[in-house]
Amino acid sequence: MNGMTVQIAGLRKTFGQVQALDGLDLSVAPGEVHGFLGPNGAGKSTALRIILGLLRPDSGTVRVFDADPWRDAVALHRRLAYVPGDVELWPRLTGGEVIDLFLNLRSREAGSSKNRRRDELIDRFELDPRKKTRTYSKGNRQKVALIAALAADVDLLLLDEPTSGLDPLMEVVFQQVIAETTTEGRSVLLSSHILAQVEALSDRISIIRAGRTVASGTLEELRHMTRTTIEVETQRPLTELAQLAGVHGLHLKTSGGSARTVIDVDADHLDEVLLHLAPLGVRSLTAHPPTLEQLLIRYYGDSGTSDAPDEPGDLTLGGTQ
Amino acid sequence: MTAELQTPQKYRGLRAESLTGTHALLRALIRLDRLRLPLWVLGIGAMSFYVANAVQAIVSNERELVQMASIFADPVGRLMTGPAFGMDEPTFARFYAAGYVLFIYLLTALMSIFAVVRHTRAEEQAGRAELLRANVLGRHASLTAALLLVMLANLLAAGLVLAGALSGGFPLPGSILVAGSGAAVGFFFAAAAAVASQLTESSRSASALAGGILGTSYLIRMVGDLGGPGGTALSWFSPLGWSQQTAPYVEDRWWPLILPLLFGVVGLVLAFALNNRRDLGAGLLPTRAGSARAPAWLSTALGISAHTLLGMLRGWGAALILSGALFGSYAQTMVETAADLPEQFRRVFTGESVMLGFLAYIGIFLAILVAAAGVSGVRLLRGEELSGRAELMLSAPLSRTRWLSAHVLVLLTGLSLILILLGLATATAAAMVLEEDASARFRDVAVASLHQAPAVLAVLGIVVAAFGWAPRLVGVLGWSLIGYAAFMTNFGRLLELPDILHRFNIFGYLAQFPVEPVEWTPVVLLSGLGVLGIILGLTGWRHRQINRN
Repeated sequence: MNGMTVQIAGLRKTFGQVQALDGLDLSVAPGEVHGFLGPNGAGKSTALRIILGLLRPDSGTVRVFDADPWRDAVALHRRLAYVPGDVELWPRLTGGEVIDLFLNLRSREAGSSKNRRRDELIDRFELDPRKKTRTYSKGNRQKVALIAALAADVDLLLLDEPTSGLDPLMEVVFQQVIAETTTEGRSVLLSSHILAQVEALSDRISIIRAGRTVASGTLEELRHMTRTTIEVETQRPLTELAQLAGVHGLHLKTSGGSARTVIDVDADHLDEVLLHLAPLGVRSLTAHPPTLEQLLIRYYGDSGTSDAPDEPGDLTLGGTQ
Repeated sequence: MTAELQTPQKYRGLRAESLTGTHALLRALIRLDRLRLPLWVLGIGAMSFYVANAVQAIVSNERELVQMASIFADPVGRLMTGPAFGMDEPTFARFYAAGYVLFIYLLTALMSIFAVVRHTRAEEQAGRAELLRANVLGRHASLTAALLLVMLANLLAAGLVLAGALSGGFPLPGSILVAGSGAAVGFFFAAAAAVASQLTESSRSASALAGGILGTSYLIRMVGDLGGPGGTALSWFSPLGWSQQTAPYVEDRWWPLILPLLFGVVGLVLAFALNNRRDLGAGLLPTRAGSARAPAWLSTALGISAHTLLGMLRGWGAALILSGALFGSYAQTMVETAADLPEQFRRVFTGESVMLGFLAYIGIFLAILVAAAGVSGVRLLRGEELSGRAELMLSAPLSRTRWLSAHVLVLLTGLSLILILLGLATATAAAMVLEEDASARFRDVAVASLHQAPAVLAVLGIVVAAFGWAPRLVGVLGWSLIGYAAFMTNFGRLLELPDILHRFNIFGYLAQFPVEPVEWTPVVLLSGLGVLGIILGLTGWRHRQINRN
């Protein structure tokens, strides 16, 4: 096909009455970290489990390494590793034993004591491999699955909210390890609702809501399509600001006795707004790019929980309403 | 106690505020357990009703009663059921107390252990206790509420046991004593479980520790009661023995119950003291470190299947092999009492020789339990699937077919081994006690057990097929098959049920070896059914989705 590591188009999946996926599109290129972003229940885990061939799609196409994950699961699994969001392990085995188990299922070499990467990762994640997994916290169980996946020699990592149980220090280790991983040319599909993580790691991002992709592109592209927040304090009053095109959510913020005006500006109207502000005597001005929180709130918050069936679909972003 | 209120840093003893919320919590527990505990209580009560009345239905006159009594007074009988007070002058009431009351005590103990662990350590392990304790709830409220709940259940059960005994027309003092002894056993083991829950970190270890105390009590009592009628000094070292030493309907003595009450109170004091000292979620026994590397055998599909299933197989295997040996040692007794057995018993034990019939019967009975081990094995596979561990395994390059066939292979090997060993144990015990034809009987008994393998295979096949195509039905279908087979094997003939009902009993098709010669048609058909079921199950598993709920 087109050499994509993962290629999904128009994927639908229902469980009884529940429409889990409703026309999902997603593509992961070789060597890229792809952030898969969406709130709880958006269908991220269902999509990952279809990519793994654990669930069968109702309709749509799913290709992983240009093969059918339902039919060719075993062959594909040699090239990928998976970390579920909610890791359950065998309570009477130790963490080290579980890691070996998974590595050995891949190959004898992966599970042998020659695999330096295994021990290195155990060190870096500060895991005690001699403890029974029964006594592990959620974060430690997640570390076990992460180490087993990262120590394997695979081309694609499927990570389903992999750090939801990790502390901030381990989160940093995780980000370093993922960054190293991609320099080796692996692809990563990273599902998360933790925005900072996706922001820090991802080359491209897909935002999914109610089972369909609402936005996809690089972080830059997504930001370009959205609004910049500006906080400004001027000598003369900002009377006509609200009437300008592309200005949203004007409000006042008072702190320390001075009042500042806060506005959100559409990317393509920034120029006009700044020209309008300049002659008013700007005392101070701060501008920051939209955070992913704001992206999400735009895609989820505005139309609330009610489904918008006329949602434009994949790459058409932005647009004021 | 109120004096302690002034010590600001070190909390000692049971203070009023450490019980805050007990009442509300108790009501919540009653609601949570509204189905489970009543079923236990009703089951225990039903047991008393059933036995008190069935005894009189099966044995029709005094002469038969004396003969039946000799089974319990016999050393092997005492080994199985207790000290057998008053069997020289048996009445129906004494017969009830000597032969069956032990099972009421055992059920009471199990009910108490499970309920206490369920509401204390299991809650902590699941993290729900933390959520509760964050509210206005005293340190001891959970433990106290759990114990109150269990004692409530024990009192209700005792009431039903009493009613059951009275429904058999048994004397009042002895019946109250039987019921009271049951409650005393329940109290003691509730306290033991409360201590165990403080010591260990997981609910499984807590149940295992308390269950171990129960098992040890049973073993001590066995050996103690084997020594002579009325038991020996050793019987007095067993909490189960204490309750049996009340000798209901014979000596009607109350004072032995001081022991379970005394030790129960000691246990409670200990449990509350431990609960006061430790952190929430922590245990007091250290958890041992394991190996940092997996041994080579573990890291294969077969290895991990064995890891999942071995504990279950070992448990069932040990219990069944021990039961086989116990039943086998009854063989000579059966020869001796054969001529005098009441009519109904002879109908259960088919054939001219009661002893051979008995051996054929226990061959089937134990094989049904081997099949039950098979059902719980497949239930464990379903548990692997639902917990997400199967999913994790299958995300590695391991095909579904290999995953399931590895598990089925381990199950089949384990079940076959149990059947063979249990046959050998029964046969060895029988050959040791039998005075005639010992070597021929050894072979017969060993073959009788193995002869049931096709029926076990058929049950496994049906359950594996269900796992492949209708996984939600695995438990219901499996346990119905087992329960139905056990019921029909035990009561089918006594109740003279219509023929059609026998058709659904998988264990009713094979010839009753050694009473009848082996028939090959059912052997082939049942084996075929089993193999077909496993193949169907593998096909279904390849085609269906992996569920997590």
